[in-house]
Amino acid sequence: MSWFYLFIALPFLYAITVPFLYHKFNPRIHTGWFILIVPLVIFCGLSSYIPAISAGETFCLTFPWIPAYDINAVAYIDGLSLIFALIIAGMGFLVICYSIYYMSKFKEALHNFYIYLLLFMGSMLGLVFSDNIFVLYVFWEMTSISSFLLIAYWYEREKSRSGAQKSLLITVFGGLSMLAGFILLSMITDTYSIREMISKAAIIQSHSLFIPAMILVLLGAFTKSAQFPFSIWLPDAMEAPTPISAYLHSATMVKAGIYLVARCTTIFGGSAAWFWLVTGIGMVTLLYGSINAVRQTDLKALLAYSTIGQLGLIMSLLGLGSAALYSKVGNEGAVYAIAIFAAIFHMLNHSTFKGCLFMAVGIIDHEIGTRDIRKLGGLMHFMPISFLLVLIGSFAMAGLPPFNGFLSKELFFTSLLNAAEMSFFNMNIWGIILVIMAWVASVFTFIYCMIILIKTFLGEKKDYKLKQKEHQAFLSMLMPPLILAILVIVMFFYPNVLVQHLLQPAWVAILPTLAATVPLQIVISPWHGFNTALLLTIGVILAGTLLYKTHEKWRSPYRFYPQTFTINNMYDWVLEKIETCSRAVTNWYMTGFLRDYLVYILGFTILLVGGAAVLFEGLAFEFSRNAAVNMYELLLLSSMVISALTVLLAKSRLTSVIAVGTLGYMMVLFFVLLRAPDLALTQLVVETITTVLFLLCLYHLPKLKRENSPLRFKIVNGVVSVGIGVVMTMVAFSAYSNHSFAPISSFYLNADKLAGARNIVNAILVDFRGFDTMLEILVLTIAGLGVYILIKLQLARGKENEGTK
Amino acid sequence: MMNNLIILPIIIPIIAGMLMVIGRNMLIFHRLLSLVANISVGLVSVLLIEQIRVDEIQVLNLGGWQAPFGITLVADMFAVMLVLVTAIVTSCCLCYAFSSIGIERERHYFYPLVLFMIAGVNGAFLTGDIFNLFVCFEVMLVASYVLISLGGTRIQLRESIKYILINMISSFFFLAAIAFLYGMTGTLNMAHLSILVAEIGEGGLMTAVAFLFLIVFSLKAGLLLFYWLPGSYSAPPPAIAAIFAALLTKVGVYAIIRVFSLIFYHEPSVTHQFIGILAAITMVLGAMGAIAYGDIKRILTYNVLIGIGFILAGFASFSPAGMSGTVYYLIHDMITKALLFLLGGTIIYLTGTGKLKEMSGLIRLHPQLGWMFFIAALSLAGLPPLSGFIGKIFITRGTFHAGYFWLGGIGLLSSLMVLYSMLKIFMNVFWGYTNFTEETEKGTTKGLLLPIGMLTALTFTLGLGAEGIHEYVDMAVMGLMDPSLYIDAVRGGNPW
Repeated sequence: MSWFYLFIALPFLYAITVPFLYHKFNPRIHTGWFILIVPLVIFCGLSSYIPAISAGETFCLTFPWIPAYDINAVAYIDGLSLIFALIIAGMGFLVICYSIYYMSKFKEALHNFYIYLLLFMGSMLGLVFSDNIFVLYVFWEMTSISSFLLIAYWYEREKSRSGAQKSLLITVFGGLSMLAGFILLSMITDTYSIREMISKAAIIQSHSLFIPAMILVLLGAFTKSAQFPFSIWLPDAMEAPTPISAYLHSATMVKAGIYLVARCTTIFGGSAAWFWLVTGIGMVTLLYGSINAVRQTDLKALLAYSTIGQLGLIMSLLGLGSAALYSKVGNEGAVYAIAIFAAIFHMLNHSTFKGCLFMAVGIIDHEIGTRDIRKLGGLMHFMPISFLLVLIGSFAMAGLPPFNGFLSKELFFTSLLNAAEMSFFNMNIWGIILVIMAWVASVFTFIYCMIILIKTFLGEKKDYKLKQKEHQAFLSMLMPPLILAILVIVMFFYPNVLVQHLLQPAWVAILPTLAATVPLQIVISPWHGFNTALLLTIGVILAGTLLYKTHEKWRSPYRFYPQTFTINNMYDWVLEKIETCSRAVTNWYMTGFLRDYLVYILGFTILLVGGAAVLFEGLAFEFSRNAAVNMYELLLLSSMVISALTVLLAKSRLTSVIAVGTLGYMMVLFFVLLRAPDLALTQLVVETITTVLFLLCLYHLPKLKRENSPLRFKIVNGVVSVGIGVVMTMVAFSAYSNHSFAPISSFYLNADKLAGARNIVNAILVDFRGFDTMLEILVLTIAGLGVYILIKLQLARGKENEGTK
Repeated sequence: MMNNLIILPIIIPIIAGMLMVIGRNMLIFHRLLSLVANISVGLVSVLLIEQIRVDEIQVLNLGGWQAPFGITLVADMFAVMLVLVTAIVTSCCLCYAFSSIGIERERHYFYPLVLFMIAGVNGAFLTGDIFNLFVCFEVMLVASYVLISLGGTRIQLRESIKYILINMISSFFFLAAIAFLYGMTGTLNMAHLSILVAEIGEGGLMTAVAFLFLIVFSLKAGLLLFYWLPGSYSAPPPAIAAIFAALLTKVGVYAIIRVFSLIFYHEPSVTHQFIGILAAITMVLGAMGAIAYGDIKRILTYNVLIGIGFILAGFASFSPAGMSGTVYYLIHDMITKALLFLLGGTIIYLTGTGKLKEMSGLIRLHPQLGWMFFIAALSLAGLPPLSGFIGKIFITRGTFHAGYFWLGGIGLLSSLMVLYSMLKIFMNVFWGYTNFTEETEKGTTKGLLLPIGMLTALTFTLGLGAEGIHEYVDMAVMGLMDPSLYIDAVRGGNPW
C-alpha cells in the first residue's frame, strides 16, 4: 500500500463528507471552501513525483481488487499519466475556486454539485493512472456518469436533461465499444495490462483481430473526445454550469480520448490503418469544429465548437506521430515523433487558454446575464480585466505570439510539413491536402477567436439590451483565470522548463519502444527563424483578418445549409425512429391474444423439434417387439378418435363435455385390457368427478356461440394443431423404438422384499418416490387454497384495477 | 457426501406455510414466521456452501433408496448459491410486502403461498431427478397461479388465464419430454441420464428431445417464448411481481443450464449455438420492447427479457469464462430485478400512475428513492463498479472466445438500450419540475425504503467485493463444466 492511492481515493472518500459539511455550514460558509483542499493536496502530492519522473523513472503500484481474475488497481505513474493528473488536479483547484463565486450558496444545491465534481475528479485520476484495462474501463464509465450528472445539474431544464442524455448515450456507447476492443486485445495478448500489451505489440499487429480491436478502441476514444461525427454531444453539454464546462468539457474529460489514443499509440501505431483513422478523423474534426464555431452566436457554444476543433487538432497530431513507429521508417522516426510531442504540448496549452476563456465567458454570463454575442458589445470599459483575459486566451488559441498557443501551433505546422514528405502511407498524394485542410481550419480558428474578442468587448456598448448592471467581477472570481492567463504567457517565454520536467517524460512515455532506440530530444525557442511553418502562420493571420473584416458578407451560406442534414438532427431522427420502429414491431407480435401466442409457441415447437428430428435423421420406428393389435383395441381406438373429433365439432358445451368424458372412459378400458386395474379405477373416479363438475358449472354458462373466425385463422390453427400432433407422435414412436437400456423399473419388481409392499405402484408412490407424492399433495392443497381465495377475495370489484388508473 | 441439510430449504417453507394456513388470522405470526423461515433457509444454505467448499458436492438419497432408483437431492455450489440468493431476495420482498401488500391479501394466505412457491423454487434448484424437477415446477407454478390472481382484480384475472394456459401447455411438453427420455434411457436420475446419454450419443432423436426440453424451459425462462411474461408480470402488486421477476424466470434459466451442462452437452455446436441465437433474438426483442413504451411496468418487464438473453448468451458460449460470467450475472440479475420491481412499484404507489408523462420531479421529495433508482439503473446496465460488471465482462469475453462475436456485440448493445430505457424512467420521474406536494401523493415510502436499501447495498457490495465470492463462483463453474464431479457425487462409489 502506498500513499499514492490516497490521491485517487481522496476525492471519493471526501465526497462522503460533503452532505454533512453542506448541511452544517451552508449558508454560513460556502461548501466550496472545504472542497478546495482536495485538489490542492493531490496537486502537491503529485508534484513530488516530478523530479523522479523527469529523471526517467516510472512507478508501478498494485492494489488488489479482484486478484482472482487479475483485475487489480494497478497504478502506473509515468510522464504521460503524471501530466494528465497534474492538469486534472490543477484545473480542479482553479475551477473549484472559481465556482465558489459562480455558484450561489443560497440558490444552488451545492452538495450535489460538489459530490458530482469530486466523483469526477477521482474517476478521472483513476483513469489516467490505471494500467489494468478493466479498471481503466471502470473509471472511464464513471467519468461518463459524473459528467451526465453534472450536465443535468439544473435538472428542471428540459435542455439540460436532453444534453445529459445525449452525452451519456454517446459516451457509454463508446465505452462499450472500447470494452469490446479491450476484451479482444486481452484475448490476443492474454494479459489485462496495457504495459504488457505494449510489449506484445508485434503479436497484436499481426493478429487477424487487429483491425476490429483497433476500431473498437478508437470508437471509445473518439466518442469521449468529441471527434466527428460523435462531437454532437459536446455543444449540448454546455447546459452544465460554466465551471463544469471549463473543467470537464474542455480541460479534462474530453481529453480522456486523447489520453487513450496516446497510450495505445505503441500498441496500434505504425500501421497505415491507425495512421489514417486517427489523423483523418482528427483533421476532419478540426475543420468541422472551426468552421461551425464561426457561425455560433452563443459564446459557450462557440467555445464548445472550438474545443471540438482543438481536440481534432491534437488527435491528428497523435496520428501523424504514429508514423514514427512504422517498421521501415529508420532514423527519420525521431522527426515524425515530434508530432506526438506537439500533441502533448498543445493539449497542455489548450487546457490553459481554453480554461481561461471559459471562465471569462462565465464571468460575462454571470455579471451581464447573457452570453449571446448579438446582445453583447463594448464591454472593454466595464470589464477591463475580463477583456485582458479573453485577449490572452483568444490570441493563444489563434496561435499568435507571445502566447503558448503560438509555439504548439508552429509545431503542428512543422509536423504536417514533415509528414507531407513521407514516402509511405500514400502521403505523397495526401500530404499536401492535409496541409491545406490544416491551414484552412487555422484561418477559421483565427476568425472565431477574433469574434469572441471583438464582438464582445469592442464596438458600441449596447446597454439597452442588458438586463443586469454590468460591473467588474469579484476579484476572487478573476483569480483562477488570471493564473491561467499568466501561465499562457510564461509558457511562451520559458517553454523548456516544462519540456524538461513534464513534456519530455510524457513524450517518452507514449513512445517507450522508440525512445529506447532513438533519443527523443527537443528544444523549443519562441523564435525559430523564418521557415515554412512561420510563413503559414503569417498567411493565416493575413487571410483571417481579411475574412473577419468581411465575414458579415460571406456568413450567409451558413444560413442556407439545410438544418435537416445536421448530425444532430440525424441523431434525433435515429433515436425517434428506433422508438417508433420498436413500438411498431412490439405491438405487431405482442397482440395480447392467447391464440396468437399459442400459435407462436406450438409453431416454434413443430419447427424445432420436428426439424431437428428430420434434419438429423432422428426418426426411426421399430415395431417388431410389439404385441399384435387385436380387435378390441382397434375398436376402442376408433371410438376414441370419434369422441375426440366430436369435441371439436360439437355445437353445444354439453356434447363436448360428454365426448371428453367418453374419451376418458375409453382410456379406462384400455387400462383394463392392459391389466392395470388400479390405474383403471383411479382414472374412472377422476373422469366421473370431472365430468359431473363440468356439467354443473357449464349449466350456468350462456350458450356456446358459433366461432366466426376468418378462414385464415382456421387454416393456421389447423396446420399448427395437426403439425404438433404429428411431431409429438413421431417423436414418441421413435423414442419408444429406441430404448437401449433396461429401465430402472425392474428394480421395483422387488418391492415386496425392499419395501414390504405387494403393490408396486403403491410402493413407488409412497416409498420409492414418496417425495414426489408429498409435493403433489402440496400442489393440490395450493390449488384448493387458490379456488377458495378466488371466490372469497375480490379487491376493487367492478373497478378496472386497484390503486392505479 | 450424504447430508440431511439439503432437504431443509424445501421442507422449512412447506412446514411454515402449513402452520400459517392453520393459524389463519394471526397476521403478525404470519409475517414473523415467513421471515424466520426464509432466514433459516438462508442460514442452511450458508452452512451447505461451507460444507461443499470443504467436502465437494453434497447428496441426499431420499428414503434411503440408492440412486438412481429413488429421488436424489444434489447440492452443488451452483444450486446452493441460488438458494441463498433466493432466500435473501425473498426476505427483502417480504419486508416490502409487510407495509405494502394490504391486509386483505395478507389474510388470504399471501405469506403461505409465497413460502410454497419458494419451496418449489428451492426444490427445482436442489433436485437431482428430472421427474422431481417437474413436480417442483408444478409446486412453484400452482403457487404462482394463485399469487398472480390473488386479489381478483380484472387485469389480474385476465392475465392469469393466459399465464395458466401457457404454463399448462409447457407442463404437458415437459411431461412428454421426460417420457421420451425415459423411453430411450429408462432412468430419471439426472446423473444417471448423463451417463446413459453420453453412451447413446446425441443423435437426431436425442437432439429433438433436447430441444423439447429447451422449449419447456424457455417458456419458463422467457427465452424467446416470453409472450405471456410482459402481461402477467405487470398484473400483480409490486412485492409479488418482484419475486416473480427475480426468481421464476431464473428457475427456467437454471434448468436450461443444468440440463444442457449435465445431460445434453455433447453437441454444443448445435444445441448451445441455438441457445445463443435464441438469446440474441430475445435481447433484441427485449430491448425493442423496453424502449418502445412510456410505461414503467412495461419497461421493467421487457428488461427482464434482456437479462435472460444476456445470461444465456454467456452459457451459449460454453467456455469457462462465459460460464463464470453467467453465474455472476445470474446472481446479479436476481438481485437487481427484485430491486427494480420494488422501486418501480414504489414509484407507482407514490404517484398513482405508471405513465412516465404524468410524473415529474419526484427527487425533490424522495431523494433516497431517486438515487437508489439511479444506482439500480446503472447496475442493471452492467456499469461498473456495480454487480453486473464482472458478469458482463466475462460473458462478453466468453462469447468472443467461442467466436460468437455477433452475440457478444448484441449483448453489449442491449446493455446500452437497458441504460437508455432506465434513464428514460429516471429522468422523467425524478427530474424536471416537481408537480405535486406531499399532500397530493397517493402513498408514503414508510417501510418500503429499508428492503430497497438492502438490495441496493447488495448490488454495491457484490460489485466492489467480487473477489469475496469468486472462490464459490469458480467452484460452481467447475461443477458445470465438468459433469463427472456431479455424477461421481451422486453415484457415491457404486457401479451403475
